Amino acid sequence: MTSSQERARSQPQVDVHFGHADRRYQPHDQLAVRYEISGLGQERVRAVEHSVVWYTEGKGEEDLGVHHFQRITDEALLPPATVVGSFATDLPASPLSYEGVIVKIRWCVRVRLFFGGGRDFVSEHVFDVGGIPPAQRAAGRTAAGAEA
Amino acid sequence: MRLPRFFEKKRGERRTGSQVWASAGEGAFYAALLVAGLVFGGLLVSGVAVPEWRINHDFLSTQGVVVGKGLQRRSVADPPGVVHTTWAPVLRLRFAVEGVVRDAWSRPLTTAGTSDRDTALSRLDALPGIGAETACWYDPDAPDTVVLKRGYNWVLWLLTLLLPGALVAFGGSGLLRSLRAWGKSEEHRAVAAGLPEKLAPLGQAPAEAPGFPGVPACDDLVNSPGTILSYRLPIESPESWALLGFGLFALVWNAVLVVLAIGAGLDLMGGRIDWLLFGLIVPFAAVGVGGVVLFIRGLVLAASVGPTQVEVSDHPLRPGRSYEVLVAQGGSGMLRSLELFLELEEQATFRQGTDTRTERVVVWSQPIKQWRDVELSPASRFEAEATIHLPDRAMHSFHSEHNVVSWRFVVRGVPERWPAFCRVFPLIVFPAPAAAQAGRRVVEEAAR
Repeated sequence: MTSSQERARSQPQVDVHFGHADRRYQPHDQLAVRYEISGLGQERVRAVEHSVVWYTEGKGEEDLGVHHFQRITDEALLPPATVVGSFATDLPASPLSYEGVIVKIRWCVRVRLFFGGGRDFVSEHVFDVGGIPPAQRAAGRTAAGAEA
Repeated sequence: MRLPRFFEKKRGERRTGSQVWASAGEGAFYAALLVAGLVFGGLLVSGVAVPEWRINHDFLSTQGVVVGKGLQRRSVADPPGVVHTTWAPVLRLRFAVEGVVRDAWSRPLTTAGTSDRDTALSRLDALPGIGAETACWYDPDAPDTVVLKRGYNWVLWLLTLLLPGALVAFGGSGLLRSLRAWGKSEEHRAVAAGLPEKLAPLGQAPAEAPGFPGVPACDDLVNSPGTILSYRLPIESPESWALLGFGLFALVWNAVLVVLAIGAGLDLMGGRIDWLLFGLIVPFAAVGVGGVVLFIRGLVLAASVGPTQVEVSDHPLRPGRSYEVLVAQGGSGMLRSLELFLELEEQATFRQGTDTRTERVVVWSQPIKQWRDVELSPASRFEAEATIHLPDRAMHSFHSEHNVVSWRFVVRGVPERWPAFCRVFPLIVFPAPAAAQAGRRVVEEAAR
């Protein structure tokens, strides 16, 4: 890669500031988020999406639930014209953040940038909903099954 | 020019990449299936449907005189080097078309072909003899094409159109899904999920409780009133599934064994002994008998231990609250012990190669109550009540497409003369009420 291409290619960074500094929320709390995008090169940003999602982690396939989603395509609201964004949403009653043994549920704010060349960049910022303590495997209790 | 990346890279909280190639590959796969279905369907329509439709709509009726009889032979090399021959009876007919007398061999019926020449000859004998008059239908565009019978073969249509129909449906819905997902993020796709996504081959999460995303609805768990407490919980017995599995295994295995035994018996009657076949039958028979014994043992055990019933005072349950539970055990004889547990189980479904595997882990198990030396009587069932308290910070029930967190009561019994049994009764736990959550936060903040 040449140095001019290197300069043109973005190395984006998204800083997200939560209304609750400890990033701990309860169901039905209002989640207020402000984000700032920096490190953009000369690549054109054609859209920005910000969303509040929960997803599963662990042994199983990842499942995703979208609570809040917004896609911004108005050039006046996109970098480089606007590099700061904010939104607020009321959190739902469930699911609560959960640190299980083979199933984990995480909440996060995602800011996704779509560049002119088809590349996209996503920045993910995890926060907690509820106060469920981490689970531990009960001694000697596991089972597995398989289906074709 | 920079090619899109095949895979996304995840670096901490940042991920970068492109889904263009993944979407293109998936779209190409489904498009190939769709095209294969359309081409296959087109060939079948042009080769089976259109000719049959033309015979029934365009061909003209006339009377012909049989002037010859014969068998039409058709040889096909399938696979290459192995020739299969079929025979079909045909008649040579003499009939007039617009004043012109024509002689032509009739087209064989699609169902008349057989690989057995003698059968074909007997079918030929059943057709009108030479000199007899018979009804026939000819193609006005090609009068030498004549048939002896009209009508539709619906079974053939159904069978031949089933495969292309399945390919078109699967490929079409997949292609539509890929096109709808083109250039969209996974969040955008999840928000815009429509009918093609709902028709996706993978399983879907069950119905959610209104106002509680990810929490399964408990409608099916509150439609049975209890005899003493409010709700009787449905049973989910792992032993029943094991019994069903043993039964199916014994049935299939012994069916194979019977087929092998019939083959061996016919050989024996014909004076031949296939030692390899006999050598196979002996271990097969041992496994088959073992399967039947296990199934009968499981059946006897299931029938000997009476029904277990669990009732609960309220449903769905909420963290931080107490509930009454009733355990009732029917049957007869003596139980050395009967225990009631409250458990939280995690279940994860994942793909491993071409298999879909499910792993379950119990992450919390609390013994509620244990009864010793329980005497069961057919006249009156054993009944006992207990109180449970769900922890303040208990996880709620959760069910998504591949991940489950579920609560359940587990009753484990040890009969005096039979192996131990385990019966599971699923529960739904909703998140704690908002007020309780808010109060907890105040306490936590004060503690910090």
